[in-house]
Amino acid sequence: MAAYIIRRVLASLLILLAATFLMFALVSLSGDPLAEFVNNPDQDQKALLIQARTEALNLDKPFLVQYFLWLGGALGCIVPGMGCDLGVNLSNQPVTSLLSDAFPTTLQLVLAATVLSIVLGVAIGIISAIRQYSAFDYTITFAAFLFFSLPIFWVAVLLKEFGAIKINNWLADPAVTIPVALVMAGFSALFFSAIIGGTRKRRTLVALAAGAGGIAVFALLVTSGWFVNPGMGPGLVTLGALAGAVGATLLFTNLENRRVLFIALATAVVGVVIAYSATPLLEDPSWFTLFGLGVVATLVGVGIAALFGDIDRAAAIRASVVTSVIVGLLVFMDKTISSFAAYSASVNGRPIATVGSKTPNFEGTFWETTLDTMTHLALPTIAIMLISFAGYSRYSRASMLEVMNADYVRTARAKGLTERTVVLRHAFRNALIPIATLAALDFGAVIGGAIITETVFGWKGMGVLFTSAVGNFDTYQIMGVFIVTAIAVLIFNLIADISYAVLDPRIRLS
Amino acid sequence: MSLSNLRLEPEIKADAPEREFTIKARTQGQMVRARFFRHRGAMIGFGAIMFVVIIAYTSIGFGPIPGWWGLDFSSTGELVNEGRPTLDLIPFVDGDGLAIGAHPFGQDTIGRDYFALTMRGTQISLMVAFVIGILSTFLGTVAGAISGYYGGTSEAVIMRFTDLLLTIPVLIVAAVVGQGFGDSGPFFLAVVLSLLIWTYLARLVRGEFLSLREKEFVEAARAMGASSTRIIFRHMLPNCIGTIIVSATLTIAAAILIEAALSYLGFGVQSPDTSLGLLISTYQTAFSTRPWLFWWPGLFIITIALSVNFIGDGLRDAFDPRQTRVRA
Amino acid sequence: MSTEILNVSDLTVGFPTDDGLVTAVRGVSYSLKEREVLAIVGESGSGKSVSAMALMGLLPKTARITGSIRFRDEEVLDMTPRRYREIRGQNIAMIFQDPMTSMNPVYTVGDQLAEAYRSHHRVERKVALGKAVEMLDRVGIPQAKDRARSYPHEFSGGMRQRAMIAMAIINSPDIIIADEPTTALDVTVQAQILETLVEVKDSVNAAVILITHDLGVVAGMAHRVLVMYAGRGVERCDVEDIYRRPRMPYTAGLLGSIPALDSAGGKLHPIAGAPPSLINLPAGCPFSPRCPLVSDRCQTEEPQLLATDLAHHEVACHNWEQVAASPDPTLIFRTAAVEA
Repeated sequence: MAAYIIRRVLASLLILLAATFLMFALVSLSGDPLAEFVNNPDQDQKALLIQARTEALNLDKPFLVQYFLWLGGALGCIVPGMGCDLGVNLSNQPVTSLLSDAFPTTLQLVLAATVLSIVLGVAIGIISAIRQYSAFDYTITFAAFLFFSLPIFWVAVLLKEFGAIKINNWLADPAVTIPVALVMAGFSALFFSAIIGGTRKRRTLVALAAGAGGIAVFALLVTSGWFVNPGMGPGLVTLGALAGAVGATLLFTNLENRRVLFIALATAVVGVVIAYSATPLLEDPSWFTLFGLGVVATLVGVGIAALFGDIDRAAAIRASVVTSVIVGLLVFMDKTISSFAAYSASVNGRPIATVGSKTPNFEGTFWETTLDTMTHLALPTIAIMLISFAGYSRYSRASMLEVMNADYVRTARAKGLTERTVVLRHAFRNALIPIATLAALDFGAVIGGAIITETVFGWKGMGVLFTSAVGNFDTYQIMGVFIVTAIAVLIFNLIADISYAVLDPRIRLS
Repeated sequence: MSLSNLRLEPEIKADAPEREFTIKARTQGQMVRARFFRHRGAMIGFGAIMFVVIIAYTSIGFGPIPGWWGLDFSSTGELVNEGRPTLDLIPFVDGDGLAIGAHPFGQDTIGRDYFALTMRGTQISLMVAFVIGILSTFLGTVAGAISGYYGGTSEAVIMRFTDLLLTIPVLIVAAVVGQGFGDSGPFFLAVVLSLLIWTYLARLVRGEFLSLREKEFVEAARAMGASSTRIIFRHMLPNCIGTIIVSATLTIAAAILIEAALSYLGFGVQSPDTSLGLLISTYQTAFSTRPWLFWWPGLFIITIALSVNFIGDGLRDAFDPRQTRVRA
Repeated sequence: MSTEILNVSDLTVGFPTDDGLVTAVRGVSYSLKEREVLAIVGESGSGKSVSAMALMGLLPKTARITGSIRFRDEEVLDMTPRRYREIRGQNIAMIFQDPMTSMNPVYTVGDQLAEAYRSHHRVERKVALGKAVEMLDRVGIPQAKDRARSYPHEFSGGMRQRAMIAMAIINSPDIIIADEPTTALDVTVQAQILETLVEVKDSVNAAVILITHDLGVVAGMAHRVLVMYAGRGVERCDVEDIYRRPRMPYTAGLLGSIPALDSAGGKLHPIAGAPPSLINLPAGCPFSPRCPLVSDRCQTEEPQLLATDLAHHEVACHNWEQVAASPDPTLIFRTAAVEA
């Protein structure tokens, strides 16, 4: 295995070398960095500017020398000790500092969206496959096709208008208006009728009930002023935690297994208790504090599971961990949402942002800053997710369908296993192999693909760095973006291959 | 009836009619076609795209051939009713009934007829997408076939080359090329983009050829003395035709969106010509005041991409027998 | 002798397809006693596998099943899914044809066997793994403890099938259904596997339903035989009767088409024609287009499985007496071949 990795890394480095050379040639050929000075009427200034730029960008040297100089600087980034120099851009800013600012921004943008797309897309794809040819399946398939065919920049404009401007307007004075109520009813109806499948009659009934229920809940929330000062409070959080415990149990065993169920419920309660007894700690915590608390809660849960798990210890521990994670997320959400009122006031009543990655010069508690990041992430994430999720759901549906028809799934059923075990332990585990590979490859490509999203939403990340560079024929800036993107792609290609070997024992021998 | 008769006069009479109790045999082509036509989504998509193509090319004409729509896309004019669309689909609401009017899609900020503009954009976008689809499919098939069939050095070279191209994000290279050579027109852009995205199909075809190469019918053909070309074209390619066609369709759908994205960023089709992506890019800020400038090109892109995607899905179902539905 | 544990009566299975309703099984009936081995013989498409899958409840949801399957006083077709799951793997176990694809490639063999055990017994994983190793040992896999930690692709074909047998017997089932267990294996391995099957069946006191198209396999193992053609049972008797005293022309044809050692150099005598399409069945007896004894009655009235002159021997043929009267029924088909 180690030999295989080393071989792949070497091959990747060679490919990287060739790619950078080609790209450098392409960029140098496609434009003239001195072009903007051509029409300068002042001859002296023109000569000075030309000379300055020529020196900064090594334009007087032959092409190959330029390339190798750049390569030398780039190698300095990998080999410790040598300086990391990727050249300067047209405004004489070092490319390395530009990249170190832009890269985390881009990462922040795409990480949440991609992870959520994968999780949601795969889950929905699997459900689609299990309920093949049901109304749910057809709807999801059509939705996936639709989203797949949307140009992201077009969607972004729509999102900005309806997702931000209109919502911000509404949030300033929340009232039960007809269009909003209808939207709420619609979502609720669709959601519940999709989950609770069955005959057309049953689905219609569920849809109507859910729609009416949705409007009722919505009206309640508006009149109680929840949209002005939201929060979940310990009550709702506990409820959610208990529900999460039930769900976690379902994932690993069935509900009749009282032992695991009680362990999960106990973990949920413990988690909530820890969270709310640590309230002073949670006023304005750091990531470290949060992480520590989370670990403590999880360990307690695992301890309970290990002590009382008996035969089902493995399932109990897993359910316990999942429950702890859910409780952690719920508490996090509660605290974040609770700071909404304060946050909204600081941003002049327009909480959902359309531009940039954060509000400039923002000061506030940890929760308010987090909320700030989230509101800025909201629209771009939705935009990316719409399209990305479609691809994943189609792919996992196809992969799952293929696996469900396999002989070993038939054997698993013949052994008398529950359908849940057959689907999760046998079918999904095998369907996961190509999905994981795809996810790894997609991660690699996602950095390069963020260009459009960043441009539309005004995030100062790699994409914007790139587009401005191309417009000006800024060689070194383009190369900077290129090499970071290419390295990301190569790393994730390697991860994809490794994950294939890890997940599929048949590959390991070679 | 004694058995002794059987020895001399068997019951099976020579002139008894051969009773056929099998289902009528169908060729693979017929089965594929039948399955394709049964796919509702694909049929609707097919209809939609035919409609779009016909309208785009016949309405304002193409090249030397004139169209039936009076206005053209580059002449400016007076803004009628602030350029709002004159299309009226809801009869009797405003008292006019169904009407198309002079400017059904409205006008842009300098008075050009937006229907003509959108049609022109559609023409260009369609052309680019189809060129990319056809050219990249051709390149990918050839590369995949050669590397899959011959193996050895040619395979290694081609595969490393595809690795290389796959490393480079398409948008990045396309942007650089588009910016540098953008004046050469949309056709050139299409060719360049094709050169970048044939790699995916090449891998697929190579994979199929690798598995087909070991099949007995290829060995048999070789034993009969068939030349390599004949084996590739007559025996192996027809077996991959499903994968190739499906991939071509999906490439076209992706190409529409890529071209739109490039033009949106400014690196694709440039003025004075137009494409759907460029139209959206130009008028995105006008959304709150002149939403029609934004909706029409978007709707056309979505329709085209969606239709092609559905056709691709229908083709995939048609070629893959495992997807046959059991009617419940 | 012993009690009857399975009684299949008039089992019919249909699948709706785009081309029409395919009735894969058309009224099949048989019974199975404790520790008995019943061989179901037939060509591809005769419905033998489908009838077994119906027993296990492994057919797709769209399948239309009628008739009766009684397992020890319980009507299987009326069972709730939960009861079905209890029976599957515990009372009735199944061995499939291709052991390579029948085992999950990502889990070790030991894990998969242990899983079969734990789905019916609440024990710790270690205990189940111990049982798995014991079973692997019982089916003759050397170094069972190490082998249990290997993956299916690391086993040879014969060993994989042995592992599948081990998986089937780990819960000491009452009935083992073996669906063409040797078809995917080399000839040399086939005999070993059958031997293993015979040994283990005795050790767990199980009855066996052996599904095959190979009459040679039947001879060594079976007590009773059911011959199927076009979804129907056409002959049902003790194993010796099949070879020495067949009453169905189809059976005679099958026997006659087996090349014998002493016929080296002579002509082969297959049954002319092909099995009918299940959508487009001929009127009357489905075998009539290929039968040398065909009479007018055969082409209009489908024969039922009725008693013959021998005990425990039923046949579905209007002209079975002719077959009975012939000293060597396999010759029925010879004349046709000579003429052709």
